[in-house]
Amino acid sequence: MGILSIDNLTKNYGKIRALDNVSFVVPSKTVFGILGPNGSGKTTLLGIIMDVIKSSGGTYTWAGEEQKANDFRKKIGTLLETPNFYHYLSAEKNLQIAAKIKGRGEEDIEKVLRLVNLYERKDSKFSTYSLGMKQRLAIAAALLGDPEILVFDEPTNGLDPAGIAEIRELIKELYKGGKTIIMASHILDEVEKVCTHVAIIQKGVLKTVSSVAELMDTSSANAGVEVLIDICASDNGALKNILQQLDGVLSVTAVDNYLHVVCAENITGEFLNRFCFDKGIVLNKLNVKRKSLETRFLEITGKQSDK
Amino acid sequence: MINLLKIEWLKIKNYTAFKVMAIFFIVGVFALNYIVFTVNKNIVNNVPGAGLVSFSPYDFENTWQSTSYATGFILLLPALLLLMLFTNEYTFKTHRQNIIDGLSRQQFIGVKIITALIYALVATLLVIISALIFGFASGTSFSFNGILFVGYFFLKALSYNLIAILFSVLIKRTGFAIGVFFIYLGSENIVSQLLNVLSMKMKKDTGTDLGNIGDYLPMNAADALLEFPDNPIKTMSKAIMPTDYTWLVFALAIAYLIIFYVWARRKFISVDL
Repeated sequence: MGILSIDNLTKNYGKIRALDNVSFVVPSKTVFGILGPNGSGKTTLLGIIMDVIKSSGGTYTWAGEEQKANDFRKKIGTLLETPNFYHYLSAEKNLQIAAKIKGRGEEDIEKVLRLVNLYERKDSKFSTYSLGMKQRLAIAAALLGDPEILVFDEPTNGLDPAGIAEIRELIKELYKGGKTIIMASHILDEVEKVCTHVAIIQKGVLKTVSSVAELMDTSSANAGVEVLIDICASDNGALKNILQQLDGVLSVTAVDNYLHVVCAENITGEFLNRFCFDKGIVLNKLNVKRKSLETRFLEITGKQSDK
Repeated sequence: MINLLKIEWLKIKNYTAFKVMAIFFIVGVFALNYIVFTVNKNIVNNVPGAGLVSFSPYDFENTWQSTSYATGFILLLPALLLLMLFTNEYTFKTHRQNIIDGLSRQQFIGVKIITALIYALVATLLVIISALIFGFASGTSFSFNGILFVGYFFLKALSYNLIAILFSVLIKRTGFAIGVFFIYLGSENIVSQLLNVLSMKMKKDTGTDLGNIGDYLPMNAADALLEFPDNPIKTMSKAIMPTDYTWLVFALAIAYLIIFYVWARRKFISVDL
């Protein structure tokens, strides 16, 4: 069952059409990624469903919305674009305001601050926080009151690598706990790692929407079943020569200091390794790659982000 | 509504500018009236023959009008505070965050307007207290006559506060909004003075008496309802001035208040935040 239905949403900024008749349904208990390059309309879309931006046309409905939309928003944890807090107040006081607006008690505040490792700094003013700390406080605010739905816009923005890994882990945990997460990102890797579903938008137009697994499957169906293997040996020239004799190898391309091999589905890494070894070449690198979301994304949107 | 006000209170109670402005205003009300009170008392006592003219601004009934008039000069303080608090929300983008967290737009702008109303009420209360103090200090017996001027003071306070809300919604950036606010008040005053001179000239030359036209401008309408109590000299000079159409100025002041309210509210509800 869908938790959010978007129907023909359109947004014009003057002559610029930021969103063009976008429709999709977000299924319940999924991690739904909205993927698109910078300026593709992701934030506009999330702004509209949170009522901070007025749409020029179309509608959206939150599931079972017999209640008023703003009462429903109280049950959604949201992080849009930048962390928005009162600079002159401490983290704790900022969260007290958020909790009061959401109609929650204050008992959650300590828990969420500990979860994002800010408890020790709870009395510091927001203005003294680093970018990463601000982002973590915003995530803490989103988690207040244990909401069933979370909306994140670029949640790992400004975080260091450890912070990024933590947030991705957190999103997976939330998903396992039965929450629905709607997440906008321009980072393919992020969507691939944490999302179950994805909508790809470009220049305000919805290009595709499906589960991530399906998207990958479609990809191999369209392009023929292929395996990509990167290998490298001390003598790449000789390696290339012997590979071209092997049945099932479709192409060998030299990239930097390794070889990019496209082969039929029946070729495995183990097979290729044994073959080379038998021919007297020892591999010092072997990396079997499945066709990534990136390839698929570029197929859908075209190579230039501005097409 | 109580919950919304509690949220506003959380926002301002640790805001330094709020404490500073509040102290300045409260002290200011009493200090300002004390100065006017002392100066007038000394003049009356020291000018030879002044005793013949029986006029003392802080006697009951005059005290209501004098206090309201004098305090009117520092009504900029609460208005500026409101302007800063509201434009802060834009600077911090917390106006978006509050909506995202579940306030409706109507609630957000509504509680700002209620705050403006509360500030006006508190200022009015201070005026009443200080009118009583100086009224009794001047040694006259209590009277409610003239308390209508306290009502005019409330109207003026609310005008300042609501126009501050309107400027916040329209301009959004703190420094810029404060600048435009001052420039607007200044230039409206200049235009109003010019119009008043014209009104006087028109009455003298053609006999047409439209009142003081400058008093019909948005901020001057509320201002014009409050003047220093008429002393005998001023009463004489009034003969050549255009008539004060108090009812018209009052009606206009109310109309402008409604315009400020409707404009600010509608703007906030309908735009992208």
